[in-house]
Formats: sequence, structure tokens, C-alpha cells
Amino acid sequence: MKHNMEIDGIEVTFSEGETILEVAQRHEKEIPTLCYDPRLEPFGGCRLCIVELEGARNPVASCTTQATDGMVVRTATDTIEAYRKTLLEMVVSENREVDVSPLRGYAAGELADLRDTYAVNSTRMAGAKSGSNKTEDDNPFILRDYELCISCYRCVRVCAEQEGDHAINVMNRGFHTQITTEFDGLLKDSACTFCGQCIQTCPTGALADKKALRAADEVGDAIPDKTRTICPYCGVGCSVDILTQNEKIVGIHPAMDGPANQGALCVKGQFAYDFVQHSDRLKTPLIRGDDGELHAATWEDALDKAAEGFRQVNAEHGRHSIYGIASGRAPSEAAYLMQKFIRVGFGSNYIDNCSRA
Amino acid sequence: MSNPLVDMQKPEVIFCIGTNMTECHPVAATGLKKAIARGAKLIVADPRRIGLAELSHLYLPLRVGSDTALLLGMAHVIAREGLIDEEFIENRTTGFDEFFEHISQWTPEWAETITGVPARDIETAAMWYGSANKGAIYYTLGITEHICGVENVQSLCNLALMTGNIGREGTGINPMRGQNNIQGAGDSGALPNNYPGFQAVTDPEHQAKFKTEYGREIDLEKGITKVTALELCGDSIHAMLIDGENTLLSDPDREHCEHALRSLEHLVVIDIFLTETAELADIVLPATAWGETDGVCTNTERRVQRMRAAVPPPGQAKPDWWIICQIAQRLGFEGFDFDTPKPVFNELCRVSPIYAGLDWERIDKSEYQWPVPHKEHPGTPRLHEESFVNGRGIFSNVHYRDPAETISDDFPVWLTTGRRLQSYHTRTQTGRAQGIDYLLPEESLEVNPADLETWELTDGEWCKMSSARGSINIKVKATNRSPRGTVFASFSFADVPVNLLTGSGYDPITHTAELKVCPVRLEPL
Amino acid sequence: MTSPTNREVIAQWRDEPAPLLALLHAFHDRDGFISEAVLRDIAVGLRIPLAELFGTVTFYHHFAREAPGQDAPRVCTGPVCRLQGGLEILEALKDEGATEMPCAGRCDDCVPVLKGHEVFVGKQADTLSVQPSPLPPPYPGDGEECIFAEIRESERRTLTGYQCTGGYEALTRAVTTLTPADVIDTLKESQLAGRGGAGFPTGMKWESVLNAPGEPKTIVCNADEGEPGCFKDRVILDYAPHAVIEGMTLAAYATGATRGFIYLRYEYPETETILEQALAEAEETGLLGDAILGEDFNFHIYIRRGAGAYVCGEEGSLLNSLEGKHPFPRNRPPYPVTHGFEDLPTAVNNVETLAAAVQIIRHGAAWYKNLSYDENLAGTKIISLSGDIQRPGNYEVPFGLPLKTLLYEWAGGATEGREIQAITTAGLSGGFIAGDDLDITIDEPSFQKVGAMLGAAGIMVFDNTRDMLDVARNAMEFFAEESCGKCFPCRIGTHRLTELLSVPLDPNSETLISEIGAVMKATSACGLGTAAPNITDSLIRYF
Repeated sequence: MKHNMEIDGIEVTFSEGETILEVAQRHEKEIPTLCYDPRLEPFGGCRLCIVELEGARNPVASCTTQATDGMVVRTATDTIEAYRKTLLEMVVSENREVDVSPLRGYAAGELADLRDTYAVNSTRMAGAKSGSNKTEDDNPFILRDYELCISCYRCVRVCAEQEGDHAINVMNRGFHTQITTEFDGLLKDSACTFCGQCIQTCPTGALADKKALRAADEVGDAIPDKTRTICPYCGVGCSVDILTQNEKIVGIHPAMDGPANQGALCVKGQFAYDFVQHSDRLKTPLIRGDDGELHAATWEDALDKAAEGFRQVNAEHGRHSIYGIASGRAPSEAAYLMQKFIRVGFGSNYIDNCSRA
Repeated sequence: MSNPLVDMQKPEVIFCIGTNMTECHPVAATGLKKAIARGAKLIVADPRRIGLAELSHLYLPLRVGSDTALLLGMAHVIAREGLIDEEFIENRTTGFDEFFEHISQWTPEWAETITGVPARDIETAAMWYGSANKGAIYYTLGITEHICGVENVQSLCNLALMTGNIGREGTGINPMRGQNNIQGAGDSGALPNNYPGFQAVTDPEHQAKFKTEYGREIDLEKGITKVTALELCGDSIHAMLIDGENTLLSDPDREHCEHALRSLEHLVVIDIFLTETAELADIVLPATAWGETDGVCTNTERRVQRMRAAVPPPGQAKPDWWIICQIAQRLGFEGFDFDTPKPVFNELCRVSPIYAGLDWERIDKSEYQWPVPHKEHPGTPRLHEESFVNGRGIFSNVHYRDPAETISDDFPVWLTTGRRLQSYHTRTQTGRAQGIDYLLPEESLEVNPADLETWELTDGEWCKMSSARGSINIKVKATNRSPRGTVFASFSFADVPVNLLTGSGYDPITHTAELKVCPVRLEPL
Repeated sequence: MTSPTNREVIAQWRDEPAPLLALLHAFHDRDGFISEAVLRDIAVGLRIPLAELFGTVTFYHHFAREAPGQDAPRVCTGPVCRLQGGLEILEALKDEGATEMPCAGRCDDCVPVLKGHEVFVGKQADTLSVQPSPLPPPYPGDGEECIFAEIRESERRTLTGYQCTGGYEALTRAVTTLTPADVIDTLKESQLAGRGGAGFPTGMKWESVLNAPGEPKTIVCNADEGEPGCFKDRVILDYAPHAVIEGMTLAAYATGATRGFIYLRYEYPETETILEQALAEAEETGLLGDAILGEDFNFHIYIRRGAGAYVCGEEGSLLNSLEGKHPFPRNRPPYPVTHGFEDLPTAVNNVETLAAAVQIIRHGAAWYKNLSYDENLAGTKIISLSGDIQRPGNYEVPFGLPLKTLLYEWAGGATEGREIQAITTAGLSGGFIAGDDLDITIDEPSFQKVGAMLGAAGIMVFDNTRDMLDVARNAMEFFAEESCGKCFPCRIGTHRLTELLSVPLDPNSETLISEIGAVMKATSACGLGTAAPNITDSLIRYF
């Protein structure tokens, strides 16, 4: 059943259970948020998404307020925008810096973008900074740069709600709030599985991809190119974006709209990508020489020799002496051609893949 | 999987057996965790106290290789307590009366004697699963890598059929596939018994179709499995083309495997690294890797998705499809003149009824789960909704069988093998990813702390582990994850080649090796 | 006697309702602090993720995680006590590991020093002794008291004493002759509203719970009296515990609730003992528990002790705290009446409200309404009066009583030779009133007209020798310390305001203070953040 409400003077419809923010976003209203991640339960912490609701004394957080019939909402009055600007000034003032490398994480630029949109800086509200870095955490993946933390708890919530690991939480309260593990320890001693979800939801880069930052040291931290593909590991088939700069893979982002993963990844998919450009990669064909060792060769020679071997064995032992094993990791085109190679070439069904192991 | 991944958030009761999902399919496991957060009950059957067991509401620590007994016991209770779905059985299945008769003898008390799981816990599990409006089963290689893998799967099917827990949201029998395109490899016909699209090679209709399609006579009988082929190396098999598989480390009984490959006259390996297997080859051909290759893959929920190249390959590496075509062309085979992967995939779609509605463009946004029988079809997220492929669901009157080898005075300890979160298969990839060794620097043998003394082992020290096939040295790690009398190691590390020991037997139908059960002896070094 | 093992303690509590706080206190009492090993065992025993449990424990002021822990003195440095020796005592007890605690609700008898389960009081470190908490002063008015009417009778804390003064008459009448709807109607007619400060009509709240789907339903008595300068609930609980038990049981009868919790602030350890005894007495005599008064009516009450978190007086935080979750406030709606404890219908009522409800059922709605001096208002309000005043204490005043009557006639005015400069209202949350604005009557509308709040009705008096900027800075520091950290305006705002009040004000800083205050008032997620700027607004207005 459809319901009606009014947003900024326009009559709109919504479905039961939708929040004001969701309805407004569907109608392309630009409402600023910092603690909001559409994959998570609404939290209502940053208060930037406040809107004026007719009949309510104070503005309401649009992310936590469900739309009801007949609501009249104004999303960007002067008063609301002024509140947002002051709030942003306050938020910016508690951080060491706001401009961070886009390689820190998927959402790392959110605060900086809002800072620019509202043209605020930290001078007027200058005061104590919150959060202290966990420099002793020597894990190779997740930088814990809490001087950039704004306590939006997206990391805590994504770890609990999306990943189900509950590895991190909030220590202390108020301005002394610190995101950390049990007993304020290292991630590797906690329930953390290094899936990297906290990095990707962090709106300030406080939690950052250490591997990507190391890559940035080599190729710079300009905005990388993205290529949508599927994770190379298990059979779940998570959608990911490969981040590249100058033909180098610098990191991975989970695809927030990936049908199999809806933004989730695991440690392998998130961090174990650099085998691709590893120096151990085979770069030329190899042929076993008379000395019994493998030697680099040209494609022409290697392919000729490969074909010749099959021709000889076929001639000598018959077509049932040749067997093909297809890969479970190469694309389907490879598997299809492997079976076609055996069936067309030798008329047998002597083909299998590696699923039996 | 019979059901889509999103269904994992929806069951009332989840029964996980032989799956270490939080480590092997972590992202899928997040769905189960969400279901639990919403109040679903989780039953976990596994010899080891894995992460999933910690999340469970009922944990059934069964002896390795005793799954069939456990499942027979559960079926017995479901029938005894009248928790069967009579309407479903009547309309959708066949053979229930015989099955009902068959399971009357397999009481939970009997199952306890085989599995070691208390009869009352088996009853509770059966009651929960049997009473659930939406009960879902998830399993992985802990079910299939046994000599009785087929019976194990049939036993799970029995449970789903008798309770009607299939063909609906939040139900189903859901095996989780282990590699990103292992489903696609099967879909594409890289199987000895099926043409592309699971068209049986023994079916005259399919034989005729592919005779026309491929322009030649093809054997009317099934081919041999990889396992058999390896057995026959040097006898009747003399040449192999292996694409991207480190057979030597991933397959059981490494000595045998190495001997087999060495006895070939001609071995061509296509891979991205010089793997242990590639080192035995006559010709090694460098392939492009993930991230360098355009192509298509199919995930565990039958979703057909595009992989895209983001960076150029190193040196002269070439896509697998190109390499195979080049060899085929040199041999004068017809139908290998492809310049890009797109027409290859479109040909696969053309010859496979399950892909008939797909093509290179249509899969661009990962929207389709096969079968997609025609262009107007929306895809099939959930199988068996209206009917089963072969008509009616068949109950199987399975019997429990002991593993190929059981513990003895010489080999008194059960070894079971598997994978770990931070490593993948034989570590050709994860072993070369910076940082992974911070989390998992080396392989170790997980031993129950209370067993250390019995076997004179020391936590953190090396030990010698031997089976009927060989010995390896491995470091001991005391942990309550292992039950008394059972130890665990993964097969990922080349320096700890656990698959030297395994390989006691194979499922007679699928030829899947019994990697999950291997009696061993442990001695301090 | 050997102390119980971790496993035994956990086994004792794990199947009880709302087990976490009780379990943490059990270990805190056993060991004096909560060790890492204990937290690991609790996490497993209660199936709470360890990081979450750790975070939750760090939220509370009083849970120690290492020795000397619970036994080290905690000295009140609240707004009144810091001016009456608190800071000096803190200094003197430093060697014993003394730390400060925010207002501990003993402002009529300062300075409280908490050691384990005992509250010592005294103005100097060497004169500290354990004393019973003060009764309300003799009634100085010419009207009639409601809640305090019989509280000064001896032994009223016992069941016998309570019954001698009309105790459980209301419950007996309700259970034997009234329907739940009758009880609710009487309360609605009496116009009783929440006395914890929010002022929501009690009858309507109970009616909503009665009509809300979902069971079991719960009554929560909010006895987390954390507002500085408020100590009215303490006197009711200490001297008329059965009034609260009777009030909760009445609420249960009216709403269909079967379980109840008294969420008691940490700083009242003796009150917990008194309540435990009273609950035991009531259960023994069939006034509580199963088959109450022989009827088909079951209701059980459990005491859960807080651990030092002002925000847990906010009902969403309180419910999260009871449930063992991180005590952040909840987003509203939904409200507790439909989604309260464990997401089921729940009435959260203040101590005073429950005690008043008993008298209303006993004496009738009309009687209650007429207690007020103002015919547009109904009943009475207990004021906790403290600070620079001759006779501090709890006074039950009829609504409409002139504020100056209370200050000067009832309580004797400022100390010899000094004058009242200003008062705080609603504890600290209402900010200051000073000068001519003191010429108002005691009721919410009158207080709000001068920009303040009556709220829970703690009034702290500051005489003309006090530096109000310093008072304001301390007040804001309290809010900053107690801010939960969930919403940005409160977390950052209270801290920035404290910083701005730490140096002399100038026009620039005043502008900034007003701007931050306005944002906090408009956008904060709960009452803490919206109320805190009342301090700065009134400071700028008056001084």
C-alpha cells in the first residue's frame, strides 16, 4: 500500500517502513549524513540529516524517523542548513586533518566533501582533538588512525551488523570515546577477521587500508581507476572494484551493490590481491630442455611443441591416452574450450575439472 | 545451491554440517549471522569446534566420517515424532514408504554409538529442523570428501524431502562451492559425464546435438574421472593438458600423484605461477591472471557474472582461452578461431539450455541465476519450486559405512583436513599476498590439549605424523577446537604436504577423495 | 567460606532476567574490581561479544578494572559538595586512592564518600562517619503533604510500620474492587504526570502499556537519580520502600505487567539493602510474587543496580543498560510503552510518581488535585533543596507555592550575612534563575517562562560569594563527562562549551557559546544534550 507525504512542497509517495531519509533520497534530495550507511540499522548519531517536520518542536533526524501519512517535511531551510554548518564546524574541529588520500577507503572522503560543500573550517571552533592513534598495532592491513575518528560508530556497527564479528566497540564515553577492541588491544588478538569492512565504511579515513597506502607511496594517491569484477577466491562470487593507477593494482573496494555480497568481503578478497603483480609470475612460456630443466621459450616454439606432443601421443597410444583437466578458477571460456579441445580433438569425454579435490 | 545467497538470512532453523563457513565462505556466513541475530536457531554438526560451532545453539560433535549415521538418526526421530510434511511427500516425492520402513531401525541411540553425539542432542536437532517452517541445510566438503559422500548428500536430501524443506524461501539443500568458477567449470561441460549445461553424454539426444555442433563422433559413454586418469597415468594415459590446477598439492596421496604425472610422456600446464605441478611439465604456458582477464564465472548460487581485466598481464602471459585455441589450431581442430572471449561465451550459451537466455551483454550486471532457458526468462534464484528436474524427489535408503580406513593400533588418531580463513588452496595466491603471513605464518597441527600427554607431544614443538602412505613433520598447536583423538591440518602449505598422507579411498560414484578422514600416528621429533 | 568460582557466579545469574548488571556487581563485590579473566568468562556465559562487553563496562564510572577498585574512596565533588569540603577531602584521601565522583545525591548532608557498600559523610576527611540519610525536615507549610504525609513515622520502612500508616490499602482496593481500567481512569483524572522531569501523564502511559501487544510486560522504576542536586527518590526509597513496591505493583495490575525492575543508582548502596528487605517482606506476605492477595495476579520485582552513568536516567539508556547493552539512548519513536525492555511493552516510572500513584488510589483523584495551590495544576512536587541555604532538605510543595516562600520561609534563606545570588533548576538541567526572576511560583510553566525547567526539581542555591562562571564551568564539565558520545552535538558541544567557560567570556566567545547551545538544543538526540545549554544561556542572561 502506498502512502503520501510532502517533502519540500512536493507530494511524494512512500511504502510502510521507509524513513524520511530514504524517501527523500529516492526523490533526489541531497541530505548530508556522516553516520549513515544504507546497509546498517539507522543510528541517529551525527544529526546532520535533521529536517524540519511540521508539528514537531525540534528538527528530527530523518534517518531514524519513519515516514508517516501526511507528514510535511522541509529538508533544507535556512535554519536547518545553519545548524548543519555549525555541526560540521564542530566535527571538523576535533580532527587532526580532513583531507585524506582516497586510497584510505571507499568512504574516506565523505567528511572532506561535506566540509567543502558547507565551506567550513576548524578555526572558529578550535579546541581539544579527540581520539588517539593506535600506533602499536602492527597489523599489515588496517591503519587505526583515530585522530581522524569522529565517533560515528559505522565501523562498530558494520563489524557487528554486516560482518557479525563484533570485534570492535566503543570504549569510554563522551568526548573520550575511543573505538577499540576488548581490553584496548591489537586487532589480531581480537575477534577481527581483517575483512576490511570497517575501513570501507569509515567516512574520514581514520580506519584505512594500509596496503593501499603503501601502494600510494609508490604511485601517488590520486583518485584511482576502478574496474568492476568478481573476487578470485571462493565460490560466493563477491563483486569488487579493482583500484588501479598506472597499470598497478593499488587496492580493492567491495561493490556495495554486489548481488552476492552487498558490500561485504573477507580478508582474502579485500587484501590478498597482490599475487597478480607478483614477481614470481610466469612471463614467458617454458620448455623442458634436453638437460631436464625448464627454459624460457617463444610462444611459437612452446605452442608447436605442446601441439606436437599431443599429436604424437595420439598417434602412438590412441585418442584415449589424452586427458584434460580444466580450472575452477579460470573463466568459463577456458573450461568450455578445454572440454571442446578434448571432445572435438579426440572424440572422448576424457575431461574433468578440479572439483573432486 | 538450491537457494540464493540472500535466503541465508531467512531460515528459522539452519543446519550446517561439514562446513567451516566462517573460514571458507566468510561472506556467505554473514548471512547466517544475520539470520541468527533475527532469532534463527543454528545447529552445527562438525567433528571440530569450529567458529560456526561457537555461534550455534546446538553443537553436534560427531566423529569424523560418521555423518550418515547422524543423519539416519535424525530422520528416524523426524518420522517417529510425526514431523513429516505429508502433503509434500505425497505430491513431490517417491519411495517414502520404503524409506519410512528403512529408518525405523536407525534410532538416535544407535547413532550415538557410531557418532559419539548424545542421542538426546540428535533428537533435539531433529525436532528443531523437523518443526521449522523454514529449515535450511548448508554443507561443504565435510560432507562430500568421504568414500560415502554420495550417501551423505542423499541423507541430507532425505531430511529435506521428508520435511518439505525445499523449493521455498529460506529452505533448501545448499552446498557451498569452493572456487570462484568451479560451478562455471561444470556448467561449461568440463566433466566426463556431461556436455555443457549438464547435458548427459549418455543421452542420445545430446549425443546427436553435439555430433552436429562439434562436427564429429564423440564417445557415447562417460569419460573417466580425473582420479581414475591419475591412476592410469603411464598405463593408458600418456598426455595431459592441465589448466590452472596445482594437482600435486591439492589432491590426495601426493607421492602417487607425483609419480603419475612423471610417468606421462607429455604434460602441458597452463598456469600463472610455476607451481609444484607445473615444475613437472614438459611445456609450461603462462596465463593471464585474475584482474588481467575478461571472462565469465558462475558462483555457488548459479549467478553468472562478468570478470574484467583491470591491468595488462606481465611479460608475454596470455589468456587461457587463447592458449587452448592456439594448441587446438596447431592440431588442426575445427572451431577454435576465436579472437576474444565474447564469442566463446556466446557459443557456450548457445549449446547450453541452462544458459540459453544469456549472452555476453546480458550478464553484464550479474542479474541472472541459471537456468535461464530463454531471453525473456528472469532467471531462477530458487530451484525445485514447482517440481524437481527429474520429476519426483527420491528417498534413498542409505546405510552407514565405515571410512576406508579406521583407526588402529598402528594409526590410532583421526586426521581430518580442510582450509583456513587466511589461506586459499595451495597458497599460490595468498602465499604471495603481502601481509597474509602476519595472520597465518605457518601450518600447524591442531591437537586437543588433553591429548598432548598421551602422544608425548609438546605445544609449539614439531612432531612426525604418519599414515599408511607416508610421513610429514608438522608443528603441534594445542587447541580445544580439536576434539580428543582427532587432529586437524590444512593442505595449504607446500612445506607441510598433508596430502602425502591422505588418499585412503574415494567415493565410488563421484570419485571424490576421502580427504576428511585419515588414520595417522603421531610421534614427537 | 571460600568465595564462589567464576562459573558458580555466572550460573547463579545467567538465567535471571536482566542478568548482566547484577553479574558485574557480583564480581565487583567479590573481587573489588572486574578482571579481564572475569570479563572473558562472562562473555562466554552470557553470549555477549567480548569487545561489546568491554566497551559497556568502560562506559560506567564506578566499575573498576583493577585494584584497589571498589574499596578506594570515591568523594563527591558535585556542585554543592565541592563548595563544602569535597575537594579538600578528595585531596586528603589521595593516599588511599581516592577519586572523585559526580553528585552522589546527598546534598542535604554533605560530603558523601563512598567506600565499597558504605556511604560515609562529613565535612572533613577526619570526621567522616556512616550516617542514615536525612529525613525530610518537619513540614513547614499550611497545606497537606501527599508522599511525605506519613514518612516521618518511625518504622515506616518496615512492612508493619508501612501498613500501620495505610500502606497497601491502595493495592488491596485496586486488586479487590477496581478493574485495571478503573485504576487508569483515576490516575488520568488526578492529572498525575511523570515526576522524574519529563512530565508525561502517568495514566496515559499505563493505558498505552495495557493496550500494547506483546508479553511479558514490564514495569521499570527509574531510581537512577543522577541529576546533581536531586535526592528526593533517595528519601522515599529509604523511608518508604514499600510505597514504591506498592506503586509498581499497582502499575503492574493496571497494565498487565508480570515483571518489574528497580533501576537503582550505584551511589545508594544502603538503599539497596533496604529495598531487598522490603521486597522479601512483601513477597512473604503475599503482596508481591505469585497470586498476589490470593488473586490470579503475578508480579515479580528485581533490583538492578546502576554503575555510575548519568545518562542511564534517560529511559532509553536505562533500558539498554538493563538489557546489558551499551547504554546509549534509543531512537524514538518507538517509545518504551510499545518497545521497551526486550522490545516489549514497558512502563518506565520515576520513584516519586509511583509513590504518588499509591496515594491517589488510596485517597482519590479529587483529593490529589486539590493539594495544588494553583487550580490549573494538580498535586504536589518534592523539591530537593541544597547549597547555600539554612535548612537544606526535601520539601514536598503544593504546585503554585511561591519560590521565595520555599527559599526564605520554609528553608530559612541564605546563610548568615549572605544573600541568595542564584539557584539552579531541575538539578543542573534547567540552568540558573537569579534576580527578579526568582519571584515566581513553583510549577513547570512558571519556570519555563523564565527560561528554566522545574524538571526533577533539584534546586541548588548559590549565595553572593560564589563565582557563577566557575559554577557554570563545573556544571558543563559534568555534562561533558556524562555525555554518552552517541550524538555529535552533545559529545562535541558539551566539551567545547566547557573549554569556552574555562576562560573569561568575551563577546566572541559569547556568540560561539550561543551558537553551539542553539545547535545542541535543536539537534541533540536526548535530553542531556538539549538541556545542557540551559546553563550557558542563563549564565549569559544573568551574569
